[in-house]
Amino acid sequence: MVSLDAAELTTRELNTRLKELAEAGTDITVINPRAHHNIAVGILSPCKITIEGSVGYYSASLLDGPEVTIDGNAGWALGENLMSGRISLSRSAGASLAASMRGGEIYIGGSAGARAGISMKGGTLLIQGDAGFLAGFMMQKGRIIVCGDVGEAVGDSMYEGTIYVGGSYGSLGNDAKVEEITEDELIVLWDYLERNAISEKPKFTKIISAKRLYHYDSLERLEKVVV
Amino acid sequence: MCGISGIMHKKSKANGLAPIGRDLVKMLDSLAHRGTDSTGFTVAGEAFAEDLILRIWTDGKDSEEGVLARVSEAIGRRGGVVGTSQTWGGFLRLTVNYEGDVKALAEALLDTDGVEIHSIGRSSETVKDVGTATEMDQTHSVSGIMGTHGIGHVRMATESIVDIGHAHPFWAYPFPDVTVVHNGQLTNYHSMKRKYEGFGHHFQTHNDSELIAVYLADKLANGDTLDSALHASLEDLDGTFTYLVSTDNGMGYAKDRWSAKPLVLMETDDVVALASEEVALRSVFSEEIDRVEPQENEVMTWSV
Repeated sequence: MVSLDAAELTTRELNTRLKELAEAGTDITVINPRAHHNIAVGILSPCKITIEGSVGYYSASLLDGPEVTIDGNAGWALGENLMSGRISLSRSAGASLAASMRGGEIYIGGSAGARAGISMKGGTLLIQGDAGFLAGFMMQKGRIIVCGDVGEAVGDSMYEGTIYVGGSYGSLGNDAKVEEITEDELIVLWDYLERNAISEKPKFTKIISAKRLYHYDSLERLEKVVV
Repeated sequence: MCGISGIMHKKSKANGLAPIGRDLVKMLDSLAHRGTDSTGFTVAGEAFAEDLILRIWTDGKDSEEGVLARVSEAIGRRGGVVGTSQTWGGFLRLTVNYEGDVKALAEALLDTDGVEIHSIGRSSETVKDVGTATEMDQTHSVSGIMGTHGIGHVRMATESIVDIGHAHPFWAYPFPDVTVVHNGQLTNYHSMKRKYEGFGHHFQTHNDSELIAVYLADKLANGDTLDSALHASLEDLDGTFTYLVSTDNGMGYAKDRWSAKPLVLMETDDVVALASEEVALRSVFSEEIDRVEPQENEVMTWSV
């Protein structure tokens, strides 16, 4: 276990050190992050990183493999483009949480701002509290589980993937629809919550794409000749 | 991009004034990456006598003494009496004993060559300059200003020129003690500005944020509460915006329908602080804080 003091390093130095230590398989604790941006970015090796305090924008983004635990809040776009691994945040996240996430897991102990899971392409985003406006905007794959309430326009223009809402939601976004949830799905979700130390068992509402905006027959002119 | 911040010590009116200037310098310094074109502050709730506080900037074509003499003469013509005066680097700070209409006083000042009014208030003053918060503090000694609340801004110019006059906060000419800091762009600025000019309002700059200040002050003057004026702005202003407003005894924020510009908020029994980013809250509060991110179409106000 190595401890790095973010107050004594530039963000570039901190990320370079993190990357070196992660490649060597060392577990790392970062102290004094002071809500600075871009902390723990671009790490592609499995390792454990614990951040003791809040982080700013784009923190724990562009990751492939690490398990990052943050004790604090996060700014905009936490976990952007996560490929694999896990990010766990004890308090609340800002807007555009998990933007373009492709795999792995993100757990938020508090609430999330607007556009959570925007353009998500895989993995699981679990929010124990509430999520803001436009959750799952243009989502393409994966699942978003919100135990609390969700704001207006949930699932706007989503292509694929599933949004589960434990509480209430403001309104459905364009081309989003509610589908009846099965007992089996609920059991899977409740099991997932339990593994994340959440004891509640909300009766989730399931939101998916109605696919009325799909226009996949619009082939290029030459392609149509081939067909 | 721009950075905004605000802070109110809710019990400072009863328990003694708080170091609002110092807090705002720290918060804006930590937001310097959001803009270094200019920096500005309004500190409100200072313990003044009955006098008006005038913050004025001159274009430097005349000596400070010359401008002060002409400004004092203009104030005298309206029946005002200059109490204290300080001048430094083209900036003037005056206290003025004046009972009349502030609009008449402001017009007299603007008729004076080379004079720009940064603020007129009975319990607040606005300081703005090009450069960073730390640089400003060295020039203007902002850290020493005590008050109940205040707002501040670091600017990355997008819609109008970079100079001292176009730095935030914008004073709501000619309404005392109303100032605004804004992060965003108003897309109906020109039509709204024409409308308010039609009502007889005067704009000192070509900056869209000045419109918000004048708009809110006009609403307040016509009987709106701060809360209802902010709510009305969500309908009337078009574009992306998160802005903060400071009045003689109040502070508030409004956030547009797209939730496109950031804001985080923390509140305890004693203090409420707002900023574009948590890094600014961290600069004044070292303990772990529960902060919330205001959502679209949201308004909140506080008063001391």
